[in-house]
Amino acid sequence: MMVIRRKCGQSFHIGDHVRITVLEVQQGSHVRFGIEAPVEIPVHRLEIYQRIQAENRSSSSGDALCWLKGVES
Amino acid sequence: MKKHLHKVSSETDANNEDKAGKSFHFPQGMAGFPGETRFAFLYDGHGDIICMQSLDCPEIAFLLTPWDEERLGPPPAISQERRECLQLTGDEPPFWMLVLNPFADKQWVTANLQAPVALNVEARLGMQCIRVEEDQPIRYQWMPQPRQAA
Repeated sequence: MMVIRRKCGQSFHIGDHVRITVLEVQQGSHVRFGIEAPVEIPVHRLEIYQRIQAENRSSSSGDALCWLKGVES
Repeated sequence: MKKHLHKVSSETDANNEDKAGKSFHFPQGMAGFPGETRFAFLYDGHGDIICMQSLDCPEIAFLLTPWDEERLGPPPAISQERRECLQLTGDEPPFWMLVLNPFADKQWVTANLQAPVALNVEARLGMQCIRVEEDQPIRYQWMPQPRQAA
């Protein structure tokens, strides 16, 4: 993992199109980031995104169309 | 409700070129499937459920149903950035759908309320919108498992 030290108000780039800025460091353990990224790149909190990824894989893991066709009208 | 499904759907027996002509573009893909950006919506006459199938990888398919306002209350607010991505103009709302999971529970078909899908039907654009403002059930008991034909 790459480690970068930044102060409040300072930024770093990921590629040409993603900029992350440290907005605030609160007493304790909270940091607020500002993230500028193209709309094609979804930005989410990791724990939520992982849950949605897992649920999407579960939802689409079977043959959804076959299931739908097999439902009695 | 069903007329809305016909608005978004392609024919189930159409060939891939026809489906592509009526496909929806998801610029961000679906969570876990970022490379799948083109989906056909296949309606087969089963209630309010429609199948959203990847055009490039047909084994990736989701079941969707329209957001039920009577049951769930108003659909989530959508940010300006997401509105722009969907090319929604003015106050025009997106068409909200829920991703169903018929495989996770033997008794229930569940619905993911945390990450519904927003569609701009006219522009054929879609996006899975993960709701960051509140925790919602990912496996909400939507309907009992229907009987499968023999």
